[in-house]
Amino acid sequence: MSGINALYIAKEALLSHQTAINTTGTNIANANTDGYTRQRPIFNTLSQSVEISTIERVYDQFLGSQINEKRHSLGSSEARQDGLGRIEMIFDEVGDEGINGLLNKFWNAWEDLSAHPSGQTERMELVSIAQSLTSKFDAYSDALLSLQYDANARIADLVQEANSYMTDIADINGRISETPPDDSSINDLKDKRAELLSDLAGVVDFHYIEDASGSINVYLANGMFLVEGVQTGDLAVLSGNHANTLFYDVLLEDDANEAPLNDVITGGQLKGYLDIRDTEAAGYITNLDTLAASLVSEVNTLHRQGYDMNQNLGEDFFDSTKTTAGTIEVSAAIVADINTIAASETVNGDGGTAGTIGALRNEFLMSDGHATINGYFNSVVWQIGQDVADANREYDHHTDLVSQMTNKREDVSGVSIDEEMMNLIRYQNGYNAAAKLCSMADDMADTLMTLVS
Amino acid sequence: MRISENMKLQSIVDTMFKTQGDYNQLMEKIASQKRINRPSDDPAGINRTLGFRESRASVTQYGRNIEKGESWLTMTESVLTSAGDLLVKARETAVAQSTATASAETRSIEAGTVQQLIDEMLTLANTKYGDRYLFSGTKTQETPFSSSRRAAAEIGDPVAAGGNAFDGSVGKAGTYTGTQNKTYVVEVVAGGTLADVTYRVSADGGKTWGDTQTDLDGGTITLGEGIQLEFTDDGDTLLTAHDIFYVNASVAGYYSGNGDELSVNIGDAMSFDYSISGEAAFTDKGEGNVDIFGVLNDLKDALESNDTDGIASQLDDLEAASDQITKKISTCGTRMNRLEIAKNTLADLEMDLADLIANVEDADMTELITQFARKEVVLKATYAAASQIGKLTLIEFL
Repeated sequence: MSGINALYIAKEALLSHQTAINTTGTNIANANTDGYTRQRPIFNTLSQSVEISTIERVYDQFLGSQINEKRHSLGSSEARQDGLGRIEMIFDEVGDEGINGLLNKFWNAWEDLSAHPSGQTERMELVSIAQSLTSKFDAYSDALLSLQYDANARIADLVQEANSYMTDIADINGRISETPPDDSSINDLKDKRAELLSDLAGVVDFHYIEDASGSINVYLANGMFLVEGVQTGDLAVLSGNHANTLFYDVLLEDDANEAPLNDVITGGQLKGYLDIRDTEAAGYITNLDTLAASLVSEVNTLHRQGYDMNQNLGEDFFDSTKTTAGTIEVSAAIVADINTIAASETVNGDGGTAGTIGALRNEFLMSDGHATINGYFNSVVWQIGQDVADANREYDHHTDLVSQMTNKREDVSGVSIDEEMMNLIRYQNGYNAAAKLCSMADDMADTLMTLVS
Repeated sequence: MRISENMKLQSIVDTMFKTQGDYNQLMEKIASQKRINRPSDDPAGINRTLGFRESRASVTQYGRNIEKGESWLTMTESVLTSAGDLLVKARETAVAQSTATASAETRSIEAGTVQQLIDEMLTLANTKYGDRYLFSGTKTQETPFSSSRRAAAEIGDPVAAGGNAFDGSVGKAGTYTGTQNKTYVVEVVAGGTLADVTYRVSADGGKTWGDTQTDLDGGTITLGEGIQLEFTDDGDTLLTAHDIFYVNASVAGYYSGNGDELSVNIGDAMSFDYSISGEAAFTDKGEGNVDIFGVLNDLKDALESNDTDGIASQLDDLEAASDQITKKISTCGTRMNRLEIAKNTLADLEMDLADLIANVEDADMTELITQFARKEVVLKATYAAASQIGKLTLIEFL
């Protein structure tokens, strides 16, 4: 009967609009929730009435994967900026007490000695400055090494972090596959999973696809899986393969070959810290070592041709077994007896050798004869400044990109309170109308009843 | 385009952070008064400034070296001037005593005066600058002049360097035939028994070396100019590589120093000889022409023996001696001029470098403060805008 039909129609309408209002309520409640995707009730005609066929999660899949890609770059440039910024702080060359300033004092001390080769003050001054210089080399080298260890520790931490994200993603995959597709709680799970993917993207780079069962499968660049359905390919760290045996390689825990993934990872913070440890910091340590080795060798060569206060030929000025920045040292014999500093070209004490050593500052001893010792070091400092400035620029650039993409995402998926208010009014009207229909249908049925009795 | 709640807030917050970041950077530059507080502020700039600082350190050092040379020369000049005065007095005495107005007694008395002149000349010639003798050439620790004359050329006892391993004996032989005081050095190249040893010889104190020799078999070697050394393997250790032996060979005369000059660097690859050797100033060897002590002693002897002709024959030599001293005084003058010019050039260079460094490093305060004020305005505007966010929503109208 049309009256009873109207009742049925009204009931479905009431229920549907109630659901719609509830959905609006959910949106409003989550207006400030991170990573929340607004939900939209889809009304569908169903045999003269209406139903909510689905509660749609308004989400652009393509945007989502674009943002994650940008997060890979953001993660790695964030790590680079952090690491390089700390390297820059190590090289305290803006004043006069850095290696450049101490090298200058070192050459000057030799000059002073050449003007007064028998002078005890000049000899003591030379040894003191030489020791300050070697200490500085040591300090820089140690600080860089310490930075490498920090990066190393971060790598281990990041691997743990990634594993925990992957476990959670796999867990949600499982729950999603068990949840019927029209259950609205699936939206919450999907939101959560998207957040986790975002977080994981900041740590390591990957690509992912959604398979038929609704699981998101995550793969590394070489095809090995990180998450596949409810399975995780956990990452692990293994030390012992590098020159420094404490440095970690990243690999898959279940990989029987224990193949390192360091080259496979090209984004995320893992990449950034691997670069900092193995390329940037290692490179600067090599530069300092090259400089130290040259200094030791060139000074010693000249020193051994000179005569000391006892008419002996000079021995090593710097300990010739210690030729890296971290080990360079004034020879113990020189420190013990400053009269063994060979300052003269002849046995008579003329100071000529000291003058020649002081003049090393002008010799093109580095970079295949293209740079002086000071010049070489100065170009290393320039390099650091350049690298840091580049890293800062890149970080800002990537931050902006992610920001823009996020805004686009918000455009599609974000909650607008004003919009939800309008929706609320709309659905409320619909509800009221349906209620009115109910009461009308009820009246009509009553009329029918009273007609018969 | 939809505007979500997050978008409204995020863009304002991002802008606020950016502006605050710039604001803080400007504050740092104003506080430190430096444009460059770390390498990344201006990588090219810090490269240049490090180079400038390096040059400035060199320039300052050369200036210091020059000052040391100048002090040495100033003292040398003063001593030589006094020596010149002594020679004038000697000549006056010689003139007076060679005439008929003098007598045996006056000559005898004047012999005493001349002796005093000699003693004073000796003191002058042995003047020290700090712990070094002014007139010993490069043998600055050895007293250059003695009061008694070495009658003939002498070869000093060979000295083994302190660190030698060899503990056998070394003796000298031969007669020195050279014309100047020299130090000969022998270095063992390959050690072993006398037959196996190879060595090389230096005639200039160890600066330049001859070829490696292999003829030590008999234990006697000739170094050159008549000097011979005799080695005997009568100790526990054989001759070892890098063992050094040196011998001072002197010609006849009063002088024990050598004819080399001390030097310092006064510029890049610019070595400057600043000392005057006693040999050139007071002897007739090397660059010198007149044996001043010889002449004075001859004068004294002639006076004592009342030898009029002898006295007269010293007059020309005394004049030549004065000339020699005067020449050396003017050498001091020329050298000091040279150093003064170099010093002034360096002083100018130092000022220029200081300017260059300041240009690169120092902050332009006017510009900075203007930027700072502007940023402050921007920041205030951002804060004002931020406070309006969230105040205007549809809810207020429903």
